[in-house]
Amino acid sequence: MSELASNRPEEANQGTEYEERLLLAEREDWEINQAVLQPMMQTGPGFWILVAVLGAIVAWGLYAWGYLIYWGMGSAGINRPVYWGLFITTFVFWVGISHAGTMISAVLRLLKVDWRRPITRGAEAMTAFALMMAGLYPLIHLGRVWKFYWMIPYPNNRFMWPNFQSPLMWDMVAIFTYLIGSTLYLYLALIPDMAMARDNTTHWRYKLYRVLALGWRGTEAEWHKLHRALGIFSIVIIPIFLSVHSIVSWDFAVTIQPRWHSTIFAPYFVIGAVYSGLAALASILVVVRRGMRLQEFLRGEHFDALGKLVLVAGMAWTYFWFAGFIVEWYGNEPVVRELIHEEVAGNLAPFFYLQMGANLIPLVLLVFKRIRTTPALLLVTTLLVNVGMYTERALIVAGSLQRNDLPFNWGTYRPTWVEISIVAMTFAGFALLYTLFSRIIPFVPVWEIKEGRLRYTVRRIGRLLVPTAAEIE
Amino acid sequence: MMDETKSLMALFQSSDDTSDAIDDLHGLGISDDKVVVMTGVPYPKGALGRGLEWLALPYIVLAGAVAGMLFGLFLAVITPHLYRLDVGGHPPVGFPPAAVIIFVFTMMATIVSTFLGVLWEMDFPRFGPAPYHKLVTAGYLTVMLEFPEALEARVRQILESHNVHEISEPERMAL
Repeated sequence: MSELASNRPEEANQGTEYEERLLLAEREDWEINQAVLQPMMQTGPGFWILVAVLGAIVAWGLYAWGYLIYWGMGSAGINRPVYWGLFITTFVFWVGISHAGTMISAVLRLLKVDWRRPITRGAEAMTAFALMMAGLYPLIHLGRVWKFYWMIPYPNNRFMWPNFQSPLMWDMVAIFTYLIGSTLYLYLALIPDMAMARDNTTHWRYKLYRVLALGWRGTEAEWHKLHRALGIFSIVIIPIFLSVHSIVSWDFAVTIQPRWHSTIFAPYFVIGAVYSGLAALASILVVVRRGMRLQEFLRGEHFDALGKLVLVAGMAWTYFWFAGFIVEWYGNEPVVRELIHEEVAGNLAPFFYLQMGANLIPLVLLVFKRIRTTPALLLVTTLLVNVGMYTERALIVAGSLQRNDLPFNWGTYRPTWVEISIVAMTFAGFALLYTLFSRIIPFVPVWEIKEGRLRYTVRRIGRLLVPTAAEIE
Repeated sequence: MMDETKSLMALFQSSDDTSDAIDDLHGLGISDDKVVVMTGVPYPKGALGRGLEWLALPYIVLAGAVAGMLFGLFLAVITPHLYRLDVGGHPPVGFPPAAVIIFVFTMMATIVSTFLGVLWEMDFPRFGPAPYHKLVTAGYLTVMLEFPEALEARVRQILESHNVHEISEPERMAL
């Protein structure tokens, strides 16, 4: 039985195909509702196969985590001196991925950038799910995960409090704050669309959306308050987003480990996060657009703009990388020199050249509009960016630790099946959460799109008909 | 003898018609607080000819931020003194770590108080029956009116003169 209720004016009850045949400007509001809700209801065999495969990988990863807990951290490849390996690499990677959501949603909302509208929810969801995956790693890396509550700020039975001078405590509270902030931000902007879904569905979906809509009716007062709250969120979440990756970078930079102890680490981490996050968002949007037939909402102009943002972030990342590298190279300190040699011509060279190639080649490709506006080409290019960024994180974390100021204490690192399985679990877990989210929550923010349509008129300039946005808020 | 009160719900397709109708209803003596407009899209400030109510939200947010800052201050500056562990040459509290903790807790409380504050301002969650029409989210501008029964004919005349799509008694539905 269909879960989609027929909530449309009676005179408009003829059938409609939701293909790319109409521009949004020619659509009635109820048609947009249906165009967003219909793909959510359609879950064919492909969808369930995908869910099963991702679920199986997650289950295997959970087994590996159980193995790690039972046999101890010795079953991971970390050792002395490489005490941080694939877990912390992937933790930094996921925190980085989470940055695009705020970038797209909050920054572009404040700047009143109109092309953000169809992609904000996808970006915000990416932030929330990436942070959930990132948040697992401190627990996994504890080994004795049941001792996690020791970090919660209350005194133990000897009245000792957690040590807030420790960067690991900063890490925990910063990530927790960002997770709370981004989840509430996602949910707040979702309430009007939950009401729309409530009015257009039946059965379990109706019950779910009714609860999530909280009784929304769309009165002027409700809209006014929602706008004010989103405005405050947009401002407040920007310093949080900047602080989170800065704090993650200080986990490294406040040590005296060569190549970590650097003042440039915080901005370098932040810009790297924005680069990888925007690239990941572009990849996800291409996949979801095809999987959910959202071609009408996610168009070439959106990918073009997103591609340009990835390009700018990539150029900024290159600048920060070089600014750090040239100072280290010129300083010529023995251990740093050894580490640079390891990267450029030693055991780490394949990873170094993979990192540089995968991060720099996309910058050349994204200059071309055809690459930015062709979804398949954009997908390949942005996936390449994240291969590069993951490798970069691995080189920073595990690569740098192989050498230090005590040459007798040098070593190497090779991840074990346990670490690889757990890392695969978080990638599959992220994809699984996103896949389920796209079938339960309207992926496109319907009210924001309708609001955008209010702002637009088509104006004749000479022989051209030009869309013109009104300055209203 | 007091006038009986009558309620009506009117659906419009155009914002122009809605704002013109509201202006005429004001002219008839129906005050702003007796008119509720529901839309599926946020219309710009003043588009429907109505004033916006004062919000306490910024003050709630400010109070939340101050509370968060004080909590951060307690954790970062006070707790090291509650069980003092002196390490040679180090002060019990360093400014940079304290600044990080105070900043993060201030921001966390600001975010949470914004969320709770806006729910409180909107009186959410509210699942009981309330006057509503499901066509609101299908694009219709819905005006709900309360007025003395004696004015009903005039009110209907005004609504019809502005191309109203449907006039009905407000239906209270579980939200």
